[in-house]
Amino acid sequence: MVQQSISKKMLPESLDTIEDYMKRNIGLGKSFDLGVRKLKILRKDIHIYYVNGLCDTQFIINLFEELVEINDHEKLSTNVFGIVENRLIHQSVNRIKSMDELVDQVLSGLIVVVVEGEREGLVVDVRSYPGRQPQEPDTEKVVRGARDGYTENIIVNTALTRRRIRDEKLRFEIMKIGERSKTDVAIGYIEDVADPDLVEIIKRELKSIETDGLTMGDKTVEEFMLKQGYNPFPLVRYSERPDVVSAHILEGHVVIFVDTSPSVMITPTTFFHHVQHAEEYRQSPTVGTFVRWVRFIGIFTSIFFLPLWFLFVLEPDLLPGRLAFIGPNETTNIPIIAQLFIADIGIEFLRMAAVHTPTSLSTAMGLIAAVLIGQIAIDVGLFVPEVILYVAVAGIGSFMTPSYELGIANKIVRLILLALVAIFHVPGYVIGVTLFILLLASIRSLNIPYFWPFLPFSPMAFLKILVRQSVPGSKLRPSITHSRNRYREPSNS
Amino acid sequence: MVEENNKLEQEHHEKPMSLLGLSVITGLFGGIFWSSIAYLAYVFKFTEIRPNVILEPWTIGDWKVGWLGTIISIIIIGMLSIGVALIYYFTLRKFNRMYIGIGYGLALFLIVFFVLNPIFPGIDPFKELSRNTIVTSICFYVLYGVFIGFSISYEESEIQKSKDSKQKEVRST
Repeated sequence: MVQQSISKKMLPESLDTIEDYMKRNIGLGKSFDLGVRKLKILRKDIHIYYVNGLCDTQFIINLFEELVEINDHEKLSTNVFGIVENRLIHQSVNRIKSMDELVDQVLSGLIVVVVEGEREGLVVDVRSYPGRQPQEPDTEKVVRGARDGYTENIIVNTALTRRRIRDEKLRFEIMKIGERSKTDVAIGYIEDVADPDLVEIIKRELKSIETDGLTMGDKTVEEFMLKQGYNPFPLVRYSERPDVVSAHILEGHVVIFVDTSPSVMITPTTFFHHVQHAEEYRQSPTVGTFVRWVRFIGIFTSIFFLPLWFLFVLEPDLLPGRLAFIGPNETTNIPIIAQLFIADIGIEFLRMAAVHTPTSLSTAMGLIAAVLIGQIAIDVGLFVPEVILYVAVAGIGSFMTPSYELGIANKIVRLILLALVAIFHVPGYVIGVTLFILLLASIRSLNIPYFWPFLPFSPMAFLKILVRQSVPGSKLRPSITHSRNRYREPSNS
Repeated sequence: MVEENNKLEQEHHEKPMSLLGLSVITGLFGGIFWSSIAYLAYVFKFTEIRPNVILEPWTIGDWKVGWLGTIISIIIIGMLSIGVALIYYFTLRKFNRMYIGIGYGLALFLIVFFVLNPIFPGIDPFKELSRNTIVTSICFYVLYGVFIGFSISYEESEIQKSKDSKQKEVRST
């Protein structure tokens, strides 16, 4: 009970009390990575608490040198605390007053200096988290363009963003979420552009998260924030590219950084945010438009094409004369619908296997997959060649989807459509597609209709989706973000 | 034209659109888009009804069943669709609910297939239509109704919202 009252109150004057508290509650002496260094400066005890591995030893040695030199240069004084504060040669030194803060800061990788007889401590930010250098993200490669990507470190991530937007109104608000993990979460936006209501909603939602820890990073935050339920469609867009995220911030979006996660959440998002790619903006508008259309065709194919073909197999009368050649010429023992499901799930096997296979083995696996399984399945008489062709086309369409999450959601829709066609034929297909469109239109992500700008229709915005417009020509921020300032800067032109 | 071209690309300006303008464009686009898709459905025999039925009440040349007839029909449906959108604009735009759009589409379906049926010899009496045709048509009308209704109602609610927030700002200052 005594311990609890200490933690809420101010720092005790006695260093022994602090050490005792740390030993009992935080595991000093038990956990090998927690440590305390004791110095004597001007005949007073000074304790420095740290966590191994989260702070930079070089900096700490420099700080200690300076502290120890106090004994050589300064006269005895009662104001040891002031002298120590002055001698901590680091730009980021803060005072703390409670035991709680001390524990939090030490466990975050900062060092805390406490002086005998003082009710305050000094925090020095010497954090250096283990992590990697910014690299090009695997999932969003471009032929031309910046090759840096976000890392697992939130400080590096916000820095990469601020490098691109040096605006005075750019805000990164940080907070700690998770009872035990105390993960840093930051929301980024431009104050006079982003919709203040949206910022408020996101802050409120973030603060109301009650959980042990966010070890799975942004995905956990997303589930808490958007209450997705069993809706398979991704409600936020993730990006690992600082240029993509910066472009969205400028459009009035609010982004969420989560420490330990290299992907950043962009909110609010619609379906069409998931089908665009940075590459389109690295090419001329015409080429970008072409690339985008090809991509749209791919995504469209991945959803509707395979069930349509299967429908024609079931009812060959539907085909107009010139297309009558479509459909399997050979007959097999296995019904086509079973073949389709086996082949489609087979592709899913391959995908999962490829994710877990080390690069050195993946070539061999690809060979087995493509040549052996495909060819031999046909030779044995398990599959009709056409099934392999159309499943492969649909599969490639899924992989073409820039948003990995959307690709998988579309795959589920495709399988459901296939099942509907198998049972109800034409009405199944038509009603299935109709329900799919209505479902997309009824989803709301942070109160934004998901299928905007197609449904509800917004002509100018829809044109921008169809045609990748030149950047100098687009003066207007997209209305979906409800930005406070609809015109991009400078607004007077 | 020359002046236009001399203008820097930066100087082109986009303006937000009025709700009435939006309704007209939504109607036109919705009519053309969905009747084009409906034509595709006709090609693949999902439905027996092609857009060309709109030309049937008039006795004009044989071209009305060819590709020219199809394109002209789609454009005419687009024009008629503007009227449909305007009717929605004047009557139902305050209801920002998706099922209102669905209902609007269903109502249109009933009107075309039961009330206006005698005008179009191309559309068989309801009882003689095949099941595929009926299902496909209902789906098209529902999607079309939602497209028109949801778009106009959503924009209207957006306008209301921005008016509200402006009033709030005025009050708070």
